[in-house]
Amino acid sequence: MAQEEVQMFPTTSLSLGSEELETPLDDLESVVALYQPRVFRFLLATLRDRDAAETLTQETFLRAWSARASFREDCSLATWLIRIALNLARDHTRTGRFRFWKRVTASAVDVAEVAAFVPAHDRSAEDHLIAQQQVAEIWQTVNGLSDRQRSVFLLRFLEEMEIPEIASVTGLPLGTVKSHLYRALAIIRTQHNRSGQSTTLHNLPERNATTGYATSKETR
Amino acid sequence: MTPQLVPQPRAVPGEGHLTGEQFGELLARFTEEVGPEPTLAEAHLQVCEACSAELASLREAITLFREASDAYAEQELRGIPRWRLPNRSVFSHTFVPAYWFVAAAMFLTALLPLQVMRRHAQGTPPAVAATATVSNAASSAQSDEALLEDVNREVSRSVPASMQDLDDPTEDASAVNSESSNATTNERKD
Repeated sequence: MAQEEVQMFPTTSLSLGSEELETPLDDLESVVALYQPRVFRFLLATLRDRDAAETLTQETFLRAWSARASFREDCSLATWLIRIALNLARDHTRTGRFRFWKRVTASAVDVAEVAAFVPAHDRSAEDHLIAQQQVAEIWQTVNGLSDRQRSVFLLRFLEEMEIPEIASVTGLPLGTVKSHLYRALAIIRTQHNRSGQSTTLHNLPERNATTGYATSKETR
Repeated sequence: MTPQLVPQPRAVPGEGHLTGEQFGELLARFTEEVGPEPTLAEAHLQVCEACSAELASLREAITLFREASDAYAEQELRGIPRWRLPNRSVFSHTFVPAYWFVAAAMFLTALLPLQVMRRHAQGTPPAVAATATVSNAASSAQSDEALLEDVNREVSRSVPASMQDLDDPTEDASAVNSESSNATTNERKD
């Protein structure tokens, strides 16, 4: 697909001279290139709406750039951006308009569509189908979580953030983050067992069968 | 096929299967590596096949969820128009004084003719200016009067000037008749 170019940021007051770099946000082009996929992925999984995710991703970088002077580097840039994205997503989901339209919007994410992206690895056709069902099941279960549970779960398992980092992003105490995470996991576990699909796949990739999430983070 | 969650021999005194919190703790970790001093939950996993299988299954499902979500988001991102950021601005602070200077020069250049005209106008004696103004007003009033009179005259005519020739067609005919009779008389004389 041909990619159009969209002017996103104001040109009048933007000054990117190398001698003026004071915050990482000043080199906005690099920041967008580096973090856009991550911010978009998080917003897409949170909102389940690609149009809203796209809009809020742009808004995230716009706000970050506007408020770049307030970035004191007490956390990583990624954490700061995700924090902005999370706040935008919260504001977005609070509106009644979102609650209504998310049921009917054409850009809503289809669970089956996501499940189709399960990597095949070396699985048999049957195992691949089971894997797709599992992903669809988790996607739907996550959708049913409370906003905070979902945010914490996605930050932990999609963005692979550590608990203190999640606390920083959400502004919640560590204990509260853990509490939300464990509740979310308990719900997912219950649903997982209830669906009768807790069968361990036969031809799991070795890395998953032996090390769980450990190597997956390293490989990303 | 679901795993059989039958009670296992108690690997850890006082414990059956993993509690929800223990399960959550283990799931929330990104590693299955057991430290030198395994916790009760870790020790239980080593001997409890059911808990171990359930944990592995859930980990696998969550890993699949992440991989699929990641791939899906990546694919969706490809369809999004690429944001074009502005080039490095030529409005660098280095050049700001120069821009201000040019702007000021242009402003002054535009202002100069106005200032000259104003001074020129101010240099004319007020009495002369007033006289000129009065004479201009008087001449324009005269021309207006003349124009109005012309219009009035034109309107008051019964026949417009352009139609005057057609007002009495018999005049021309009688003139022609008289001319022709004169000619006949002359011929007879001849």
